[in-house]
Amino acid sequence: MPDPRCKKIFAALSEYVDGELPVKNCRELERHLQGCKPCLAFIANLQTTIQACRQYRVARIPKPSPTVRAALLKALGKL
Amino acid sequence: MNAQVEQALDILKRGDPAALDRAIEALQTAVYSFGMKVCGNAHDAEETAQETLIRLARSLKQFPNARALAVWLYKVAKTQCLMSRRQSKFAPAQMLSLDELMPPHEEGGPAAANPWGVTPEEIVLSRESRERLEKAVLALPEHYRLVLILRDMEGLNTKEVAKVLDISKDTVKMRLHRARVFLRNELEKYFRREPPAARQGRTTTSVNYA
Repeated sequence: MPDPRCKKIFAALSEYVDGELPVKNCRELERHLQGCKPCLAFIANLQTTIQACRQYRVARIPKPSPTVRAALLKALGKL
Repeated sequence: MNAQVEQALDILKRGDPAALDRAIEALQTAVYSFGMKVCGNAHDAEETAQETLIRLARSLKQFPNARALAVWLYKVAKTQCLMSRRQSKFAPAQMLSLDELMPPHEEGGPAAANPWGVTPEEIVLSRESRERLEKAVLALPEHYRLVLILRDMEGLNTKEVAKVLDISKDTVKMRLHRARVFLRNELEKYFRREPPAARQGRTTTSVNYA
């Protein structure tokens, strides 16, 4: 990304996709995205990555150990 | 974790003794899942869950709501997990430079809405790309990995992540962006080398969720 504008945009992409970038900066970023295919592709992949993280779940969860279960049951019984 | 912690507290508030096991299982799921994401192996994740939940049993009365309990659980679980993983406390903290993370500017090519040709669902359901994602998360330096897991996998907001890790909100944002870009670049290496057509027939949906 040799274009200095790309570098500036690059640093702000997470704030942009999280909706935390100030409106003025959003407009500037969106104007740049309209004419910059590499930045557009980058942001699409970044969003796919973030969404994959949000949808990721650990596959196998073991049951709590008897020690944990007994300790929590005892504590919960006092509530 | 938040959804499971809320579920556990809901059960506890209803005071149904028959449902206590479900509350305990929800807490186990919450802490074990976080441990797996941070530690990357079942042994350390189990140890993290065990130590964290035993500590919880000693301090259960102190939490006003699910968010407060979740922040406490993350703080304790994070410490337990890092103790399991730590090889040397003198190991220097690795920094990710934004300049080095910035990919080359590739002109030409279509500006596709989905350049990898894969959806987020497909990434987490295919065993191969799911493992790529897991490896990339584990390859992140520790302080970036924790921010990414808490923010993007566990769903905490910036303020809560800052509280769990005792860092400023600006530091959370800075680390989060670098961690996301690192992860995106790691996945890019895989999807560029293995375009969708080449992956066809090898992607499976055999991941079983508990």
